[in-house]
Amino acid sequence: MPSVAEVGQLVVNGVMAGTILAVPAIGLTAIYAVLRFPNFALASHATIGAFAGYVANVAFHWSLVPSVIAAFVVAGLVGIATDEAILARFRPSGYITTAIASIALTIALENVVRFAFGNDLRGYDLPIERDLRLGAIRVGPQQLENLGIAIVAMGALFAFLAFSRMGKAMRAVADNPMLASIKGIDARVVSRIVNFVGMGLAGLGGMLIGLDTTIDPLTGFRAILSIFAAAVVGGLGSIPGAVVGALTVGIGEELSLLFLSPDYRSAVGFVAILLVLTLRPRGILGQRAY
Amino acid sequence: MKRTVDPHRRRFLAASGALAATTMAPAIVRGQDAALELGVLTPLTGAGGFDGPRMAKAMQAVIDEVNGAGGLLGRKVVLVVEDGQTNPEAAVRAARKLIDVTKAPAIMGTWASAVTTAVAPLCWESKTFLTTVSGADSITKLPHQGYLIRTQPNNYLQAGKHAQFIASMGAKRVFMMSIQAPFAEPTQTRATEVLKEKGSQMVGTLIYDKDKTTYRSEVDQALRTNPDLIYLNGYAPDVTILLRDLYRASYAGHRFAQSYAVTQKVIDSLPHEVTEGVITVQPSADVGSPAYELAKKRLGVAEPDSYETQATDWASLVSLSIAKAKVATGTGIRDNVRKICQGSGTKVYSAVEGLKLLEEGKDINYEGASGPCDFTDIGDITDCKFRYNKVANGKLVLLKVA
Repeated sequence: MPSVAEVGQLVVNGVMAGTILAVPAIGLTAIYAVLRFPNFALASHATIGAFAGYVANVAFHWSLVPSVIAAFVVAGLVGIATDEAILARFRPSGYITTAIASIALTIALENVVRFAFGNDLRGYDLPIERDLRLGAIRVGPQQLENLGIAIVAMGALFAFLAFSRMGKAMRAVADNPMLASIKGIDARVVSRIVNFVGMGLAGLGGMLIGLDTTIDPLTGFRAILSIFAAAVVGGLGSIPGAVVGALTVGIGEELSLLFLSPDYRSAVGFVAILLVLTLRPRGILGQRAY
Repeated sequence: MKRTVDPHRRRFLAASGALAATTMAPAIVRGQDAALELGVLTPLTGAGGFDGPRMAKAMQAVIDEVNGAGGLLGRKVVLVVEDGQTNPEAAVRAARKLIDVTKAPAIMGTWASAVTTAVAPLCWESKTFLTTVSGADSITKLPHQGYLIRTQPNNYLQAGKHAQFIASMGAKRVFMMSIQAPFAEPTQTRATEVLKEKGSQMVGTLIYDKDKTTYRSEVDQALRTNPDLIYLNGYAPDVTILLRDLYRASYAGHRFAQSYAVTQKVIDSLPHEVTEGVITVQPSADVGSPAYELAKKRLGVAEPDSYETQATDWASLVSLSIAKAKVATGTGIRDNVRKICQGSGTKVYSAVEGLKLLEEGKDINYEGASGPCDFTDIGDITDCKFRYNKVANGKLVLLKVA
């Protein structure tokens, strides 16, 4: 019988993993809400963000928070550029074509990163600190920082969607594109904004993953299935859903260790997709953007 | 209307002309030259592109010596080198050429397990002898009828040797964390057996999923068993994360990993305090043995590695087997290879030395640069050395070769 401390530790680990997963999952779901296709190029943008943060931190000796902002901005700008130059041309051909184009794009971008940085593993120039012990529970200072950054980023996004004109325009396009265009909302501007924010969050998520591990050109690719699982479980297109989905996948994967061997951990996310989609085809929170 | 030649047809005519010219050429060359041709199928490109060319070079160096001493069966030996591209499909095409066109009695050099698995059936069906460095246990279990040997230790041998070393370090409670891969379970099983024989104990094992961003819960699971050594049997990306997570959890025991998982690049990517004291292991050439010293001189390399020495041994074993068989066929090599590399014959450390004794009608036992080169019935080596390094202040330092 597992002890309370053991379950508590797994839940804490799950919350930490889920919160980091939530950041790029929000990016994926936000882009889906507005542009109506699953943009798998998110994987390479997460990698690009991680490397942008690496350059800022290691080459320019920036501290953590400015490096994280660099990861967000660079990935966001690359997101706008690749969407305008490549994916936008595919959108009239339907969402499946665009989704497949985004897979091709992510492989191409991943190789650009490989060309520039090589295949080696790289780590950020940040000290690795010993965990803090709170009773029987163990928490890493870096994890707490990551948690803080993820929460601030999500808070800023919710504020942007709730209070800013552009955020409201985004929600309007997501809810009813036709009505939004009749009201004079420029879909092109909204698409740029959503790409910047969505891919920026992917880049930020990539760097958060890298802070806990190391980075290489496959950093984003390794995480994309879990990110996708989180977004689908929460309800693809629903931003709060992405958070709920990420926490469900994160905590679910950890708690599965109580009765499953760790090599089945990834399967848990996908079993969750099957379960949720069978019982609630639109995901836990449905598909309303916000 | 003006008639033009269809460009496709023109290209076809040009191509078939070129093809006819190339297929005729070797026949003319062969007619003039009665050289004994041996096949080399190393990866010159792809993931094995670092080892393949050096292996081909090491084989050529041995063959140069053999030719200098009069060749084999009175014929000059020529290596026909094909690129396996670390790709089963390309390697199969290249092997077909070596078997059907070159009619080589032996193919030396397959590197990746996937390539060897694809090429081996062509070899045993055409009675061509194959030598390889691929490590997967399954390879020697193929129905190869003796037409295959490998000089690389398989998982079983590696796991046993690692466990012996771990026990000799005085570790009593060992935990093994393995990545989900074909070698995970066999390695855990064999290491558990040997640890028990040596008076240590495997206190637990787990197999983890690859591509995870954190292994905190797995580390917790390992630490609950209170191990004094943790064997991290994975690849670089995941072992890096495990090392970080073990450090964060303030684990103070030993950490042991394969050298390909804790490379210098990995060590450089982590703070020194995280990697300090990690022990790495890799199959080693038989450093210091007479054959190794000869290989060093022959290759002009300060420290030939495991792959270069294995290639040295293949060229020597195949040459000696052909001399012993007095016929250059795959079956001749198969039936004689164990007669020249194991048993009570005079120990020899190079092909040339062995050829001389064989000519005098003496029995020989070739001792290689990669190890003793004694083979089981299914073609696995029975023993080899391993190199153990320890990370000290961000650098790998040799602990011992044993």
